[in-house]
Amino acid sequence: MGLAAEGRAGPVAVVARDVAVAYAGRAEPAVAGVSFDLAPGACLLIVGPSGSGKSTLARAVAGLVPWSVPGRLGGLLQVDGIPVGGPDPGALVARVGVVFQDPSSQLVMERVEDDVAFGLEGRRWSRPAMGGRVPAALAEAGLPGFGRRRTARLSGGEQQRLALAGAFAPRPGLLVLDEPTANLDPPGAAAFGARLAAIRDARSATIVLVEHRAEIAWPLADLVLALGADGRPLALGTPDVLLTRHRRALADAGVWLPDEPFPPLPADGGDGDGSPGGAPRLVEARRVGFAYARGLPVLVDVDATVAAGERVALLGPNGSGKSTLARLLVGLLRPTAGSVRLAGRDPARVAARDLARLAGYVVQDPERGFLADTVEGEVLAGLTPAERASAGDVAAALGLPLDGFGARNPYLLSGGEQRRLSLVSQLVRRPRLLVLDEPTFGQDRRTYAGLLALLREQLEGGAALVAATHDLRFAGDVAGRTIRLAGGRIAEGAP
Amino acid sequence: MIAVPTRADRVATSPLGRANPLATLAIAIAWLVALATTTDVRPPLLVTAVAIAAALALGRVPPADLARGLAPLWLAALSVGFFNAVLSPANADPTATVVLAFGPLRLTEPALAAGIALGLRVVAIVAVGVAWSRITDPTHLTDALVQQGRLADRFAYGALAALQAIPWLAEDLVALREARRMRGLRSTWHPRVLVGLLVLAIRRGDRLAVAMDARGFTAAGRTRYRIVRWATLDTVVVLAGLAVLAGIVALR
Repeated sequence: MGLAAEGRAGPVAVVARDVAVAYAGRAEPAVAGVSFDLAPGACLLIVGPSGSGKSTLARAVAGLVPWSVPGRLGGLLQVDGIPVGGPDPGALVARVGVVFQDPSSQLVMERVEDDVAFGLEGRRWSRPAMGGRVPAALAEAGLPGFGRRRTARLSGGEQQRLALAGAFAPRPGLLVLDEPTANLDPPGAAAFGARLAAIRDARSATIVLVEHRAEIAWPLADLVLALGADGRPLALGTPDVLLTRHRRALADAGVWLPDEPFPPLPADGGDGDGSPGGAPRLVEARRVGFAYARGLPVLVDVDATVAAGERVALLGPNGSGKSTLARLLVGLLRPTAGSVRLAGRDPARVAARDLARLAGYVVQDPERGFLADTVEGEVLAGLTPAERASAGDVAAALGLPLDGFGARNPYLLSGGEQRRLSLVSQLVRRPRLLVLDEPTFGQDRRTYAGLLALLREQLEGGAALVAATHDLRFAGDVAGRTIRLAGGRIAEGAP
Repeated sequence: MIAVPTRADRVATSPLGRANPLATLAIAIAWLVALATTTDVRPPLLVTAVAIAAALALGRVPPADLARGLAPLWLAALSVGFFNAVLSPANADPTATVVLAFGPLRLTEPALAAGIALGLRVVAIVAVGVAWSRITDPTHLTDALVQQGRLADRFAYGALAALQAIPWLAEDLVALREARRMRGLRSTWHPRVLVGLLVLAIRRGDRLAVAMDARGFTAAGRTRYRIVRWATLDTVVVLAGLAVLAGIVALR
């Protein structure tokens, strides 16, 4: 195969006519009635409330349903004139590059250059052509010279850039991106957005994008498709048309809009005696250091106090130690230096049943915290009879009413629904300290408002909140002060 | 930005690291088979010494790495040797020379010799295995298995990807036990934790399979980014390995 044939076919058209997608084992379709025409080189943004089928539609457009993901596809969906679900799914997939939200589960090879080459091998590039393209694709993605690195040792942001390099290296005619900035800090997300803008401005690939960060996604879009909660289209048009004529409908459905300013962030206040009105200190971390066995230190000399009723946003870039500090505060890790006190006790030594009432902790990856086969079992796990009585209200407040969701399988919920389920399972106990790791990921404005209201109610009841987050809107909305970490230390500028 | 060469890069550029993994695998298997057929004391000792020396000198494996891999070996060899010596039926033979007697228990010379020989064989087998695994890069081995061994792509690269997911299992386990603790449940070894571990492993495998499909993995006629050939070096490695083995056997 000659060089000329390798990935030079250019952007492709995508045509959808009354497309419906249902997953195997589910009667009602996740998405239905979707029609659009996407010209070669154009960018389609798919928006909609949590659970409206955005990821499902993206997978179908990428040619993965029903070929790789079991399910049923109805209507007509064509990429570059090739029907999805046709006899040659490989030929279609060869024209498409895909980036999913979790980069770690899409890296295949041990070394960076081998991972980029993986997609080229499948598309039958010649060896000399690969030798030139692999380093170039890495450089384009902002990873020059990373070829021999190990994929497992890269930071989350670097892995996400590598996933884009791998998807874009074969010069696909269509790029399908499902929440590609989900795990990135704000500068990382902005850099990813700029890279995408360059691809879009050069019209070098058609783009189908699912993205909650409206301020990054909307400026890229030529066409916006808004899905309703039922998985049916709410509106389709240029960004201007949607923002003028359909603004109200989109906002009511829970879609984030790009032109709403974030609330201002509160001031940094790393340590200090930030006890409002002399409230007693609930958390005291003194010169805390942490290192994993045979590893570099993750945290060094971190001082932090949180008083009852305080709301603290824990900010900092990917890999700065936010999640580690969160786990130390609730006693899931023991510091290797210094001490942590929660209500005057060492949280790592508190018995489980007491700890669960003292502190709640919402993990970054909800699936890793699931303990039951049903949503109801998940919500009720470990609750006392009194707590059980109020569990249904908490679940309903976060948009997971037990009479609708109770029997569903937690693992088969959408990403945003899983996140809310993990919040419900911690908030039902009304712990005195809430530690939340990226609590707002995948939430639409309705579920976000529900979360905010529920948190405010618990905070008014005297609970304290520490939220590790990249979501600056959430930090501004909920926090009274911020702690900024950088490289495992409290960033300079904190008192 | 230039990446710092890692320890693995030093191994990969060494004579044994560059050799076709199938060549070193063939030698390792030949040595292991020979060990299984001998009851002598000297061959296992020599094989152990040669394997360790080759990994250090020709494979440039950092001594600390090799020592870590070999650490559990001494205990295993000691316990295998000890129990085989103490529990050997030769101890009941009234004509055998007694080395050690403790009340009704006696340890005879033939039993001790058999125990030592068995223990030494365990040492040699583990030493060969550890040395081979330290000089062998998993990607290099997979490439050789596909290109020379004619193994199916889907099986070989699927297994390689699964190998890299193993560290995730340990992290999943920690996360699941933490989740139980934060719900006020006894966090130790509840069967539910194992169910969760299995579900997470299957979900990760599913996602990985979809990601591989999305990158054209199943397309027919893949090209190769990394070419593995059978070079003169590989023939030299095989012949040298067999010569060393012949020498060891002859010395007996």
